[in-house]
Amino acid sequence: MKNRLRVLRAERDWSQADLAQRLEVSRQSVNAIETGKFDPSLPLAFKVARLFETTIEAIFTDES
Amino acid sequence: MNCSTNNPAARRYMGRFSVTMLLYVVFLVLAVWTFVHCHPTGPLAWLLAVLPALAIIGQIAAFGMYLREEKDEFQVALGVQSMLWGIGGTLAVTVTWGFLENFLQLRHLDLIWIYPIFCALSGIAYGLLQLRYK
Repeated sequence: MKNRLRVLRAERDWSQADLAQRLEVSRQSVNAIETGKFDPSLPLAFKVARLFETTIEAIFTDES
Repeated sequence: MNCSTNNPAARRYMGRFSVTMLLYVVFLVLAVWTFVHCHPTGPLAWLLAVLPALAIIGQIAAFGMYLREEKDEFQVALGVQSMLWGIGGTLAVTVTWGFLENFLQLRHLDLIWIYPIFCALSGIAYGLLQLRYK
């Protein structure tokens, strides 16, 4: 699944480790989600959306 | 499982894993020593023979507890994927060995090797998955 995590992170000048700390996951998890290798669950997607004060659809794009 | 972080679930798992490994060594030495020197029979013999397996079962339970306690869903996915590769690989290796045993009279593979084979293959799979998601 494509996403705008890298852009949103860059806008806030956060590293992957910073985002991981805020989401209470590992940096590896953030990297896997950001590169589209791992799709987060709905609860984690909501958590990401809340953190960036936006909607899930504004961050994640369904490629189908 | 990411043990390099301050992940409480991973730390607890490593603690439980260490305890079960220690118990395995103690139980195995105890069972071997008793069977060699005392030749136990009856229920005591059964209990001693099963003791090392109980430690292994504890190790499997410890991993199950880790998967339940881990808050990071990506780490859980890595653990489950490596376990599935380990199970699939173990089935493939043992069934292949079984046919080779039957048709070519290869040396019998003792059942106690199944768990070490599973651990080795799961470990290799975990390492490869770590590289993939680095």
